[in-house]
Amino acid sequence: MIDISLAKIFDQYPDRHYIMFGGKGGLGKTTFSAATAYYLAKQGKRVLVFSVDPQASLSDIFQRDIFGKGPTEIMPNLYAQEIDADRRVKEYQQEIRQKILDMYGMDKIPEEIESYIQAAAAEPAMEESAIFDEVVDIVVKGGYDYYIYDLVPLGHALYYLSMASVYDEWIDKITNLRQQMREYDQVAAVMRHEKEIDEDAILNELLYIKDRINKSSGILTDKEKTAFFFVVTAEEMIINDTVKAAELFAKFDVPLSGYIVNRVLSQELKGQHIPEYLKHRLTMQEHYLQVINDTFKNQILAYVPEMERDVTGLQMIEKLAKSMFDKV
Amino acid sequence: MSEGEKKKGGFFQAIKEFIYGVAAHDSARFAMKSRASMEHLFILITMGDMLGVPILPPYYSLRLLPYVVPQISTWKRRMLREKDLTDALA
Repeated sequence: MIDISLAKIFDQYPDRHYIMFGGKGGLGKTTFSAATAYYLAKQGKRVLVFSVDPQASLSDIFQRDIFGKGPTEIMPNLYAQEIDADRRVKEYQQEIRQKILDMYGMDKIPEEIESYIQAAAAEPAMEESAIFDEVVDIVVKGGYDYYIYDLVPLGHALYYLSMASVYDEWIDKITNLRQQMREYDQVAAVMRHEKEIDEDAILNELLYIKDRINKSSGILTDKEKTAFFFVVTAEEMIINDTVKAAELFAKFDVPLSGYIVNRVLSQELKGQHIPEYLKHRLTMQEHYLQVINDTFKNQILAYVPEMERDVTGLQMIEKLAKSMFDKV
Repeated sequence: MSEGEKKKGGFFQAIKEFIYGVAAHDSARFAMKSRASMEHLFILITMGDMLGVPILPPYYSLRLLPYVVPQISTWKRRMLREKDLTDALA
């Protein structure tokens, strides 16, 4: 049923350093991120798995409190990080305040400005964009062979992606406007026989922002360096949503590397004495596994069985990694 | 430097300013006026949520805030002001 295994994909494309698992909430994205990180670390690669979800669960899966603590070593070669978006926003606000005070020699932020700073931080998009920005820091800093993004559920991930392209266009437009403004400045300066005008600090700031956004969206859509996997389970709604999401992701040029089917109940159960309820589940699963097979065909990379307990702690992660990659 | 040279400089400076006044002042004023309108447009598209026009996620507009602090009050006045006929003459 599987043409090419997940382990093979990783062997075949050693340049794909950015690994992402997408899918609806609760299907096992964090679990797969952790297990993949574990597998790669065991192969001797230096791996950082980090969460871009404000409601991150890497702390739970590794059973270590890593929230806001930067990259934390979980085992040799394996580092995990949960971004504290709230703190980053607060520090950022403070940075802006300080900059205003320094620039104008004020000793207090004007009320109007202060209320804007506070209102801006309360916007729901603030956390996402703060994380977005921190991810650029993480990736630009380097130091790891693999970066595994523990992504947010589909809707958010799409928002995250579209934000990149919206930002990009927006920045382009205002950079142009800024450049035009500069030309007018120059015209006025030439006519009044003034010296060359000061550098436009805002233009530089815009170019900086543009560069940050390009780096970030560039990674998400880089076919050479990025592998994006979808997690599905054998249920109708999930299959339908995944198909839709895959189309949208393709629109944003996200390179899809394949699908992983999670929570597969063992067919061996069928022959055993099991309750009616479970029999129904098995029949349903059989049907939808067939649908998955027909829909995604040779892009299915692994079938991962339903575990006997929830996946937390390295032992369970190892077990899961074994069933994902057939080896550790 | 002699007195005469300075005077000459002053004379040429006056000529220069006169020519500027006749020929280029209006254009320069126009350029600066366009520039000011663009400045307001720029603040509107980056800081629009101050007027209740949410335009984009605010993370990066905060980055620009320090640079536009001095313009904020005149900008708000200009944007919220009622327009009348005399605007056309300005």
